[in-house]
Amino acid sequence: MKAFLVTFGVAVVLAGAASAQAYHRFWANCDYGAPTFMTTITRDAAQSYANAARYEGYQWGGGCWNYDDSDSYPNDAPGDPSAHGEGGDCSGLTFKTWRESTDDWRDGRYYWRALRNVHGPYTAGDFKNGFGAPNHVVGKSTAGVMDAFASSTHIGMIFMRSLYGGDQIVEAKCEACGTNIFYRTYRSDPSYGGVARWGWTG
Amino acid sequence: MRRPGTRSLAGGAAGIIAGVIGGIALSSVSAASGPARAAPGLDAVHVPPVLTRPGEPVTLRYAIVCAPSDDGEPCDGAGSVHVRAGQSGAFEELALKRGEDSSEGRYSADLPPEIASSRAGFSYYAILRDRSDGATITVPAGGADAPQRSVPLRNVTEIALGAHVFGHDRAPDTRVVAAAWGSGVGEAGLAGSRELGFVGPSSFDVAADGTVALLDQVNGRVQRWTPAGIKATNVEVSGGLADFALEPGGVLDVLEPPSRTTPAPVLRSFRGDGTPRWAQRLSDRTWAKLAAGPTGPVVQQQPSEQWLPVSEHGAALARAEQAGDGRPGRPFAGGREVVVERVGVGELRLAELSGDVALRSWRITSTTPLGEVQLAEPHGSHLVVVMKTYTEDRSEYRVFVLDRSGLVNSFAVESLEWAESAPLARFRLAGSSLYRLGSTRTGLSVDRFDLEVPR
Repeated sequence: MKAFLVTFGVAVVLAGAASAQAYHRFWANCDYGAPTFMTTITRDAAQSYANAARYEGYQWGGGCWNYDDSDSYPNDAPGDPSAHGEGGDCSGLTFKTWRESTDDWRDGRYYWRALRNVHGPYTAGDFKNGFGAPNHVVGKSTAGVMDAFASSTHIGMIFMRSLYGGDQIVEAKCEACGTNIFYRTYRSDPSYGGVARWGWTG
Repeated sequence: MRRPGTRSLAGGAAGIIAGVIGGIALSSVSAASGPARAAPGLDAVHVPPVLTRPGEPVTLRYAIVCAPSDDGEPCDGAGSVHVRAGQSGAFEELALKRGEDSSEGRYSADLPPEIASSRAGFSYYAILRDRSDGATITVPAGGADAPQRSVPLRNVTEIALGAHVFGHDRAPDTRVVAAAWGSGVGEAGLAGSRELGFVGPSSFDVAADGTVALLDQVNGRVQRWTPAGIKATNVEVSGGLADFALEPGGVLDVLEPPSRTTPAPVLRSFRGDGTPRWAQRLSDRTWAKLAAGPTGPVVQQQPSEQWLPVSEHGAALARAEQAGDGRPGRPFAGGREVVVERVGVGELRLAELSGDVALRSWRITSTTPLGEVQLAEPHGSHLVVVMKTYTEDRSEYRVFVLDRSGLVNSFAVESLEWAESAPLARFRLAGSSLYRLGSTRTGLSVDRFDLEVPR
């Protein structure tokens, strides 16, 4: 009985640890490959890209997800990029969806695959101020599909306007929220400004 | 060192096997408590023209949203609209055209003038397809049983507001609730940080007797302010920005947003003592507003842009049943419904329907941008409307009391929004009073504005 209890305990710990590693298998697939330079960026391709990131979680400072429709590491410590959780944060999701460069002086279009771990150089506040060659400030009342609303702490992209005057916003807002589409009223909120990417091709 | 006996070896082997199974099982339990599987799949967006002006050309536009391809190109979509003049009869199929611009939806169909200008309006639904894998989606999900319904604005009451002058807010008549931030009874929960922003109680409702019920989701409870005192009732909610409605009889409805652990929105129904009755996933992926309808809770949802019932007479409705009863307006007693459409930068269209016929309609225009409509409800022979008006760095709410002749009463209300709440949960109408949920650095408030006294 004593042998059973001892080996049982050791095996539980080892098997549990091995299984927990499965949560990090997605991280093992994250990479740092070069993006694909593109001549086009359309608003509906951006809608599809951001929509596919839904359910993939949130990671502050992160930018890698795997399209398995669940957060592979849902209990990672909030606010710690070294936790290697799945998902982007608000500005990382926007950066990848808008096909931006890691060099803030480049305004070209770079397609980043979901598993390419990249956050980009911009904070939500940077986007709000139109910082970076691809970005610029727009009037909130005229902001359209896949433009964005940004505050000093958050940015979300306009999936589509809505009948009641709010907007469907695709965003990665917090660890508990994950990445998803929510109805928001950022457009009329004084703490938010309108921001857009230059160079949509359709 | 003593050689291990057969029993020891057998016990050790059994321990290893049991331990491995146990370890994996424990991890599996942990994983199972994570997010439920749900795939975004093929999706669509469409803003239906629910209220049209006579002679107005109508183009129906759709965005088709597919899984991204590694070439970064947009969805290879197709589809058709099934449309008819009026609100009953056979549908005619129109193929959607694929355009060069996707800013309002790449796929479109121009309605023939005889349909767009029909005196009975028109109704339609779309079947959209991803040509890469053949997947289809019907919008709205109710299809031919609950199509989009568009009603013409006839004999519309026009109201031109001009430019809004900020800073002339009406003070409330009474502060009904004043709660400091905290977790004690009578206090209101606050989550977040200066860096990430703050979230306070996400919604509230007011009973016919004036009882104010506050969804204090940060503290996992509903608090009720009555003349007899404050009562707190614990409810099992996620803590996300939920909407809330108090049904007659005391049932508590909490409309949860998607979250890391529950990726689809869910309506939770609780008895008055906080014990759960049922939880039901919504038909659509996104919600804008929850309200207590004549036969149960109703939710304005996307992509359908319809009001869908989530339960009837206390029983939850399956998703297909919800979709099969979608309507363009929020239902009220007596078969009436109120239809809302914000158009462009500064236009609001409103209609009160009986069946599919507009009894009264209004068109409000403003040179200052108009924001979201928080509330549009009948009040006696009037319609009460609360909506935001804004510039780049300012905002206020405007309250309109309307009748057939136009504005009966209007005033501006300060938007006290230091902490975030659910999007369209800032105002409630009860009796002849309007209630506002507000927040500042020091705490939460519910203020009452009496509507009977013209100002």
